[in-house]
Amino acid sequence: MAKDMMPAFELYQPDSLDNALELLSRFGDRSWIVAGGHDSFDWFKDRTKYAQYVIDLNNVNELKGINETSEGIEIGAMTSLTEIELNDVIRQRYSLLSDAVSRVASPQIRHIGTIGGNLNQDARCWYYRYGVDCYRAGGNSCYADTPEGQNREHCLWGASRCVAVSPSDVAPAMVVLEATMVIASANGLREVPAEDYFIGPNIDIERMTVIEPGEVLVSIKIPNTWANAMFYFEKVADRNTWDFPLVNISRAMFIENGVVSRIRMAAGAVECIPRRLSVVEQVVAGSELNEETAELASQAAIRGATPLNFNHFKIPLLQNLVKRALRA
Amino acid sequence: MAFNLIGKNFTPPDIYAKVTGKAKYAEDFKVEGMVFCRLLTSTIPHARVSNINLDEALSMPGVLGVLTADEVTDTDIMDNPILTNHPKFIGQPILAVAAESEQIAQDAIEKISFAIEALPFTVDPLESLFPGGPNARMEGNVANPGIEPEEVKWQVSDFVAAGENHLPMGSPSREWSYGDLDNAFASSVYILEESFVTQGLSHNSMEPRTALAYWDGDKCILHASSQSQSFPHPGVASYIGITPENLVFIAEFCGGGFGSKGGAYPYVAIPALMSKKINRPVMMRISRNEEALIGSARPGFQGRARLGFDQNGKMLAADLYIVQDNGPTNGFNDWLSAGDALSLVYTPNAMRFRGIPVLTNTPHRGPQRGPGQNQIANAIEPMIDKAARELNIDPLAIRKINAPNNYSKYGGAQTSVTSAYLSEALDQGAEMFNWNERRQRSGQRNGSKVTGIGIGTAYHSAGSNGFDGLLRIDTDGILHIHTGVGNLGTYSHTSTSRVAAEVLGYSWDRCVVERGDSSKGLPWNLGQFGSNTSFTMTRTNYAAAQDAVIKIKQLAALRLGGSIEDYELQNERVQHFNDLNLSLSFAEVAQIAIDEGGSYSGLTYPDEINPMTKRAVGHLAGSGLIGVGRDNLARSGSVAALAAGFIEIELDLETGDWEIKDYVGIADCGTVLHPLGLSHQVKGGAVMGIGLAGYERHIYDPQNGLPAHLGLCHSKLPTYLDVPSEMRWGAVALEDPENPVGAKGIGEPVQGCASAALLCAISDALGGHLFNRTPVVKDMIINFTAGQEQSYGPLQISSA
Amino acid sequence: MITQSKTSRRNFIKGVIASGAAASSSAYMFGVSGCSNQQVSTGGVERLISLNVNGMTRNVDVLPNETLAMTLRYKLGLTGTKLGCDRGECGACTVLVDGVNLYACSLLTHTARNKQITTIEGLESSDGILHPVQQAMIDELGPQCGFCTPGQIMSAVALLSNNPNPTRDEVRRALSGNLCRCGAYDHYINAVMLAAERGI
Repeated sequence: MAKDMMPAFELYQPDSLDNALELLSRFGDRSWIVAGGHDSFDWFKDRTKYAQYVIDLNNVNELKGINETSEGIEIGAMTSLTEIELNDVIRQRYSLLSDAVSRVASPQIRHIGTIGGNLNQDARCWYYRYGVDCYRAGGNSCYADTPEGQNREHCLWGASRCVAVSPSDVAPAMVVLEATMVIASANGLREVPAEDYFIGPNIDIERMTVIEPGEVLVSIKIPNTWANAMFYFEKVADRNTWDFPLVNISRAMFIENGVVSRIRMAAGAVECIPRRLSVVEQVVAGSELNEETAELASQAAIRGATPLNFNHFKIPLLQNLVKRALRA
Repeated sequence: MAFNLIGKNFTPPDIYAKVTGKAKYAEDFKVEGMVFCRLLTSTIPHARVSNINLDEALSMPGVLGVLTADEVTDTDIMDNPILTNHPKFIGQPILAVAAESEQIAQDAIEKISFAIEALPFTVDPLESLFPGGPNARMEGNVANPGIEPEEVKWQVSDFVAAGENHLPMGSPSREWSYGDLDNAFASSVYILEESFVTQGLSHNSMEPRTALAYWDGDKCILHASSQSQSFPHPGVASYIGITPENLVFIAEFCGGGFGSKGGAYPYVAIPALMSKKINRPVMMRISRNEEALIGSARPGFQGRARLGFDQNGKMLAADLYIVQDNGPTNGFNDWLSAGDALSLVYTPNAMRFRGIPVLTNTPHRGPQRGPGQNQIANAIEPMIDKAARELNIDPLAIRKINAPNNYSKYGGAQTSVTSAYLSEALDQGAEMFNWNERRQRSGQRNGSKVTGIGIGTAYHSAGSNGFDGLLRIDTDGILHIHTGVGNLGTYSHTSTSRVAAEVLGYSWDRCVVERGDSSKGLPWNLGQFGSNTSFTMTRTNYAAAQDAVIKIKQLAALRLGGSIEDYELQNERVQHFNDLNLSLSFAEVAQIAIDEGGSYSGLTYPDEINPMTKRAVGHLAGSGLIGVGRDNLARSGSVAALAAGFIEIELDLETGDWEIKDYVGIADCGTVLHPLGLSHQVKGGAVMGIGLAGYERHIYDPQNGLPAHLGLCHSKLPTYLDVPSEMRWGAVALEDPENPVGAKGIGEPVQGCASAALLCAISDALGGHLFNRTPVVKDMIINFTAGQEQSYGPLQISSA
Repeated sequence: MITQSKTSRRNFIKGVIASGAAASSSAYMFGVSGCSNQQVSTGGVERLISLNVNGMTRNVDVLPNETLAMTLRYKLGLTGTKLGCDRGECGACTVLVDGVNLYACSLLTHTARNKQITTIEGLESSDGILHPVQQAMIDELGPQCGFCTPGQIMSAVALLSNNPNPTRDEVRRALSGNLCRCGAYDHYINAVMLAAERGI
């Protein structure tokens, strides 16, 4: 953990998606994509992970920008978080996203950190980041889920030899907005709904998303479905800058005739993927928003939560965030 | 007292460099032929390393050499060794590799193989005190300055008697008491007994302790990161294995220390020893993670306090036990200072203190801002509020009734104080904060938020004496104040030097502060720790200035006639009282001093000054009028720096999040030397106090000793958005009688009063609940409001 | 407004250049030899690049794994940009890249090619007049130990170029990515407000 100085690697700076894909296919599993770089360079400097061929996508302009389409908006994966935070269309119609983005890390990181990088970011279990030989790192144990493991930041659901959480503040918002991830490879494009894009250790313990070797996330499509909905985003973290969420919550909702006609809600940092709170949605849909509904929903939200040594505070915290999301 | 310079703001001479990037810290220097070294450090908490195979590393192109533990100074007998084959904490340096680049050095380190034998380890003092528990060192599990390492095991019955929720109290290493404790408790109307934990944490100065060293013949030139200038010099020289005369120690700028860089520390010798070995200048850049591991840390406490009060809230009896998490070396005496602090701040009629410093395989523990005093303030202040609540007394009133005054005595030795104006500080703060009105808001609800109001008080002994001052007036009449004070960011190098100018009646724009490089000829001063500088160095510079005053008058009498009583100093001239024609400028006096020689120009000097000062005077001899003197002014008692903090927070019961609405900090530091400088200390101390109370802590996995708190993100230092954007400060400004300008130190209690106030406010918002644990993090608040148990055992230290 | 809006994309230099193994005459910080896997292969970045720093174009030999902080400090001698953590967690290395404040430790120098890089050394005028933020930092006694100060100033300069009259809260948000262990936040905000009042 006291290692420093990135080892030598070769750097490629393609200026088109096709070039990037060609490089990925040429170098295969010895390649590594860098976007904003904050996640990647920490691994390299700590010498915990290493790649011989680093592919810097910062020159691939076709992956940048926010465009309106007939069905909603499409955000290039290399668009910076700050650009998203300040974009007028997003602030007007999809403010859940701009709110979530505004709470990521720090201003300097947001200015160059990308939406693709944020969504694809690796788990933040401190043992894993420390460089131990855990399952996620290709080894054969888990350090966090042990009798005295210091696991306050870890998951309440979805444990499967790994108890790390998805630390993104934006991923749950994308699930709520019913975003679709557009993925490119040498074989062309494929689209994956946000809810299916993130995977847990039960599917693949060494990956956080469905991105396969040779693939690149190119854009995120956000449909009109939830445009101009009533949004709620809240993140609870230790500090108000830099820190990853302890729990976060995203909500989109429409109220018609005094009742909730449509609602979609997701929580982050409680599972290895953004946790869609379907049961909350079921409880709330068709009801009036009141104290009783909120209470019922919050109870539903925590069913099945399996706390670890140090994270049972996340249970009432999640409950409270659900209540707050239904109070606003 | 009315002053021309003291108490006024000034533009410090180093601030221009700080805002332009021209300020050079150790890592900013570059020397021809410079190479780099990196450290191979221990990956497990206690180990023996052997069969080190360097072949592959040494054969790599660009690798210049390796320095091992066998090659450095007295490793086996040093308590905190420079390099070691027997590491006692994760991150302890085993060897160093020098190469043309840092990357090559790191690449080479990866090629070094060795056999490593894992030894028993512990990260919890109570585990070690339990019979059969592991010892952090082969020699034992208890050590401290003045206590040789030994093994101490308590009885099982000690643990059983305490139960799960209280600190067991086996045989202590030290014990003192005064007054009739049993009687005092018997007379108490209200008694409370709480066990508590204050978690250890790293200093995390912004600048890691990088160092650059090279040699010029037998002379070593060392650029280091140090809070102090003169004080570490002899210690560093001995780490390198040379005499102090052969060391040029340069520490002109230091990116923070907070106690971790106050004296000599061993690792600074590594580039010097490597440089000697490979005959190239060596830059050893310390990374952030390395700094967290080798940069020392605040000791943690597992403690127990039994306090007895009368119906007015006066503390009659105190019984305190501290088990200190002392790291693997001799550590520091926080535990003892905690006892003294409780004794002084609350002046109980009777008190017993017991304590034991226990070794753990965690970073070396050293002084951190308010060592011992700030931990105990955090533990005890919420208990004071509990007593106030039970006795139906105002939290302000209960602190005032217990506050020390000028005649108070404290501790086992019943030491006296030079001055203590805590009551006045509380009154002043209460008024600025509008205490009576604000107090009514305690418990007020605003949706899911609740208001909490808190007061905190803290103390540190803040002054020393017996050090040397040195100044020179050159033949242009410019005053050069030579100071051995370091530059940790307090500007005390200049604020205290201004006393010399004040005494001599100099205009500040004709003064130069000489500092930051031992080759300038700097006197022997105490280090910049323990808040001592404002007191110590004002006395010290006063002594030098007095020497100069006498010499100036003597030279005037010599040249112009009369005796020294006939002359006064005015407008940088020495002037005969009656005959205005008999007058000399200081510039002229300087020339006369050179002509006369002797002690006037530094050719001779008092025998009692320190050898370092003698060398400094020798360096300056013959270049002007020299004023030099040892501070022999009267001294008795402890210089008590005290502070009171007032805080209002709004705490969200649903998320555990709290926001500080207002903070007022009042310093009892005697005469204010530098208003903006004091503002910085009160506010900066509050920021660090917010970190201490609410965020920062060491967390170790007890199964493997791995630290969960590496990296600034995990360390949780407060950011702009975690502190109020505006804070207010004030000073009691009542002069201390043992200082020529009335000043005392202040840097440390201003952290403790803020952290204690915050903890009290959080407790207040939660209806008086005592967590008995610092820091109070969101997990704890949420568990409490949800009616859930906490995740940690009550006495677990270094746990999430 | 931050310059990276959808209407103002910059054209970056084409990154695919046939490489040669450029032997470095200033193997100062990063040795050519002894590194792992330094194979020659077509398509990697060329080592000799031109950097625009503080208004001057400099030609520098830059290794692929070199961060902007390292290049500035060790190859260009611009040591005002500090390394507090080298992990993007403190802000002491903050510089401006096309006017935007970024962590130089977390940016590959090759990614900063052909952009305008401004460091603390580039703020004062050529005749030594301090930038208003620098002068205000002196007048309000902004810094304590000074180590985080260059980064704080760069973030303040970025803020004031986009928002010349910020509120106190806007200042603290804009500087929130700059840590100060000495806790000089209050004084720093005072300095930025004073600079704003005086005008940039």
